[in-house]
Amino acid sequence: MLSKNKELWLSLLAALLITAVYAFIVYWFKAIPAAAGFFGHMIGVIGFIFMLMTETLYSLRKRSRKGRWGTMRSWLQFHIFTGLVGPYMVLLHTSWKFHGLAGATTLLTIIIVISGFIGRYIYTRIPRALVGVEMTAPGAVNQAAVLVRARRTLSIWHAVHIPIGMALFVAAFIHIGAALTYATLLR
Amino acid sequence: MEKKPFGCLTVPGLITAVLTGLVVLAVGLLRGGVLFSPGPLNAQAGALIGSVTSHADLSGRCTACHAFFWQRAAMADRCVLCHTDVDVQLQDPSTLHGDQFSKKPGISCRYCHPDHLGVNAPLTDMTRVDISHQTFGYSLAAHQHQADGSPFACKTCHVNGYTTFDQTICTTCHQQIDLIYTQAHLKAFGESCLACHDGIDTYNHNFDHGKVAFQLTGKHVPLDCGACHSGARTIADLKATPQACSSCHAKDDAHQGQFGTSCGTCHSPDGWLPASFDHSKTKFPLTGAHLKLDCIQCHTNADFASLPADCFSCHAKDDAHKGQFGTSCGTCHSADAWLPASFDHSVTKFPLTGAHVSLDCAQCHKNGVFTNLPADCASCHPDPSFHAGLFAGIRCDRCHNTTIWSPATFNQSHPNSCGQVTCINHENATCRECHTVNLSTANCLKCHDSNNPVEGGGGD
Repeated sequence: MLSKNKELWLSLLAALLITAVYAFIVYWFKAIPAAAGFFGHMIGVIGFIFMLMTETLYSLRKRSRKGRWGTMRSWLQFHIFTGLVGPYMVLLHTSWKFHGLAGATTLLTIIIVISGFIGRYIYTRIPRALVGVEMTAPGAVNQAAVLVRARRTLSIWHAVHIPIGMALFVAAFIHIGAALTYATLLR
Repeated sequence: MEKKPFGCLTVPGLITAVLTGLVVLAVGLLRGGVLFSPGPLNAQAGALIGSVTSHADLSGRCTACHAFFWQRAAMADRCVLCHTDVDVQLQDPSTLHGDQFSKKPGISCRYCHPDHLGVNAPLTDMTRVDISHQTFGYSLAAHQHQADGSPFACKTCHVNGYTTFDQTICTTCHQQIDLIYTQAHLKAFGESCLACHDGIDTYNHNFDHGKVAFQLTGKHVPLDCGACHSGARTIADLKATPQACSSCHAKDDAHQGQFGTSCGTCHSPDGWLPASFDHSKTKFPLTGAHLKLDCIQCHTNADFASLPADCFSCHAKDDAHKGQFGTSCGTCHSADAWLPASFDHSVTKFPLTGAHVSLDCAQCHKNGVFTNLPADCASCHPDPSFHAGLFAGIRCDRCHNTTIWSPATFNQSHPNSCGQVTCINHENATCRECHTVNLSTANCLKCHDSNNPVEGGGGD
């Protein structure tokens, strides 16, 4: 089970480590780390970079079939890892305040993670080769009907998931710009 | 194989991205920068400045406070556009803001005055204030937490602005801490707390009275300040409190002023009793049996000032001489005891000499009579039959001395009983050699016989 869901276990481990550090910060300073503070900023920035990697790297790998940068399964596992850990760090970055655009961005982050879980479930319904490439005839002939149905479902999911992701990143970039303008670069 | 476009760059994705941007833009146009607010602005109403009374009134108008980084002005420049009084203070290091600005010239207002923390959140973070409140005459050392344990904010005390302070706030809060004490304190010292208290707190229960001239010891230690300093309204009043015992204890004086006002001569702050009066400093130092007496045995009726010092004033009733020796008991007696007494008879008209010295007083002073005793010998020594009345009216000491009666020295002319004017050849004879019975008779034959009429025979 561990090897089968390795990315989930690693994500859980990373989340626990991050939580431990967060709890120590809370204990030490006797306060929730502010979003604009050093630690709050740091986990926000790293979390967002993870989310950017989630959004881009797996898609790039999918479109580089001639490349030798690891298997599709590994990239998917990394995609899932960053897609879980990044949003979790962003969630901690909020300091549990959900005002305005930052709050909306957090909401979209949570939605995109849930959507990601759904997508992964649909993805696993498609028969694939060991390297993660979709199986074709003759190995999957007897699963043609399942394949067609699953791919249609995945297509629908993509149609929803990608716009949510786009909305999230546009909101996130605006939030970052506003934070830089009104806080970080404020004199 | 057909090359797929990058995952997110789908038509729906791009449309959504644009729509998201438009929504943000629309909200920005309609509601200002509220979308970018990290939290509600403070809504505590203050003085009307321009058209607003609180930061919350500026909600959505980000640029009212936030200057863009490419602009020359900083955020603090926007602050002082409204808070003009602070702008003036920044130039004066003796003011709160001027003091802070002089210590950290680059400091921004928001360093101590964070906002976007909620409508009721404190606008001043005292932990950021690098200031000794003592600079302004009052330390916050004793005011870190309120009665309910919550930290102080500026507005806790400076309700109407930090440049003003209503001292009823002190009493309001301190009555919550200790109603009875505070009311008693107010009654004793009035309501001008700052006249004495500096917040350290120099003048409170922990005040080190040892640093002043009047040290607190004994029963003075547990007293409330008001017990001695009642009515004081300033530190000068506290310092001017009279230090003489009588200033507080006149009403307690059991001696009714007879010993003056220097209570400390006999009493200590540990209590009125025991008292340690040094009688040696008086005109009547205590010695002998007087040392064992209780004060009241002499000082009856609490009279300590006008008692006579002569013995007789107390001992008249004890006078065994019934006044015959006057009232100067000390002439013969000491304070140790009545006896032994040491009377100097030489100062009388009858100095004791010879055999008189060893006599008991009563052998002469019979029946306790000491005065008007006759000094002549005959009053005590009747004429002996041996004289046969021949010396009546003649002083005894013509022949006798006080050492011994006999032998006596008869140096008068001897009666011529033997036909001679003087007792020729009898100069060395004693009276009793001739007068064997008494002086009226003589016995010549004791020495002379018929055979030897001139020279004595075997007689002595």
